[in-house]
Amino acid sequence: MPEGDCLPTGITASEFLTHMAQVSGLPPAHAKTRAADILRHVGLDEERYRSIGEYSSGMKQRVKLAQALAHDPVIVLLDEPTVGLDPGGREEMLELIRRTGREFGISIIVSTHLMGDVESTCERIIVLDEGRVKEAGDVSMYTKETQNIFIDVDDKRSELVTALLSRGIEATVEGSSIAVVLENEVQSDGIRDAIVEVDAQLRRMGPRRQQLADIFRDDQK
Amino acid sequence: MTESAGELFDLGYKRYEGPREGRMRARKAVFTNGVRTTLGLGRSSSAKVLPIIFFVAVMAPAVVLALVASQASALDLPGHSDYYQSVSIMLLLFSAIIAPELLCPDRRTGVIGLYLVRPLTVTDYLAGRWLAFFSITLLLVYSGQVILLFGLTLSAESPGEYLQDNWLDIPRFFGAGFLIALFTTTLSLAISAFTTRKAYAAAFVIGIFIISSAVAGILTGCEEHNDGAGGGVGQCEPLTGDFAKWFGLIDVRGVTIHMSDLIFDVKSTPEGSGRIAVLHNIIPISTYEACLAG
Repeated sequence: MPEGDCLPTGITASEFLTHMAQVSGLPPAHAKTRAADILRHVGLDEERYRSIGEYSSGMKQRVKLAQALAHDPVIVLLDEPTVGLDPGGREEMLELIRRTGREFGISIIVSTHLMGDVESTCERIIVLDEGRVKEAGDVSMYTKETQNIFIDVDDKRSELVTALLSRGIEATVEGSSIAVVLENEVQSDGIRDAIVEVDAQLRRMGPRRQQLADIFRDDQK
Repeated sequence: MTESAGELFDLGYKRYEGPREGRMRARKAVFTNGVRTTLGLGRSSSAKVLPIIFFVAVMAPAVVLALVASQASALDLPGHSDYYQSVSIMLLLFSAIIAPELLCPDRRTGVIGLYLVRPLTVTDYLAGRWLAFFSITLLLVYSGQVILLFGLTLSAESPGEYLQDNWLDIPRFFGAGFLIALFTTTLSLAISAFTTRKAYAAAFVIGIFIISSAVAGILTGCEEHNDGAGGGVGQCEPLTGDFAKWFGLIDVRGVTIHMSDLIFDVKSTPEGSGRIAVLHNIIPISTYEACLAG
């Protein structure tokens, strides 16, 4: 499934998929049945006799995925499958990709720059940097909990950082939160005391999960 | 109390376990799709309008000739040898306008990428498209001739005798039609392969027909101020002298007429193809073949 445009505009999704299934080697009768099945699975059952040119971006992405599945491949390669989609369409596409892997039993390789897409759909990741493998492993390995505690307060952020540092706790401001490196259990009490001392309004506090994007952030440091 | 005959359908995803026919099926699919694209089948009604117009326009002269022949069989009406001349412009327009439809959109919309990740080579794709357009063009050129053959045969006083006297016309019109379809198909598809815009390809093909015809006309025609006495027939000399017959070869529009003339062994009008007729038949035939191969 290519990232860019690859769909004809003047024919229906049903006609296009039947043709693509035949180009993949399926006999005409099987190709027609298969096209109808796949279009139902990607949620275009009702729209299959409409011209592809009239489809929305989300529907076109579904047709692109459907043509890749038309001949029931063992493996599919999806290049930036959520590009150009609005948040709703993106979530639907990701769910479809998850279903393709889980229910259809087809292995999927997704090539994307959106780490959020990878975290929510993939089991394993390979990070390439200028054509060389930089990282490889289970996605869960890169998204496990860390020793970092994130503290979100409504006010007095800088005072709280000063109070934490005065207690020997390493704290830095990261975006709208304060990141604290927890070295031992005793420091948890120190955090509590510092918040009470500066009388900050605590909104949220908890351990932080690693993100895939950190792989790139670490590289930039 | 009757037992309900309910059925359970599994609408979940099913793996495909049917036959896989590989590259040959892919080739056939490209050919079939090319035929459907040419005729506008499976497309909007507007896509069918042009092919219908061209089929009507190419068959109309044959139908008219057949009807006239049935009413006035004694008259010396144009026959199979003249038919390709009367429809040559329509055939060239058909190839110029419809052929780009087979190649340009696939590259413009990126569909070509989907073909080439499947068991299909560039050669398979081009051959499939070419064959599809060639088949439809062949159908187009033969339909009129077949109608004309029926019309002329049935309007003859003795159909059997007519066929006996004119049987040679049948292989001739099949042969000439084949060569004309081969030429128009290859030329228009070759030009369409250079652009992703249908309009540019069509304009370029039509431009080649017009310009080559005009240039050939100038180079093989008579000098207007020849001797100041006007260029009467038999008196004027072509601008290019003895080379006029060779310059006639560049008239792309005249190729179809000349091919028909060669096969039917008739002499056309003195311009263009008529001038080439001075050359030995092998020369224009090899030139056109070389162009097609290129």
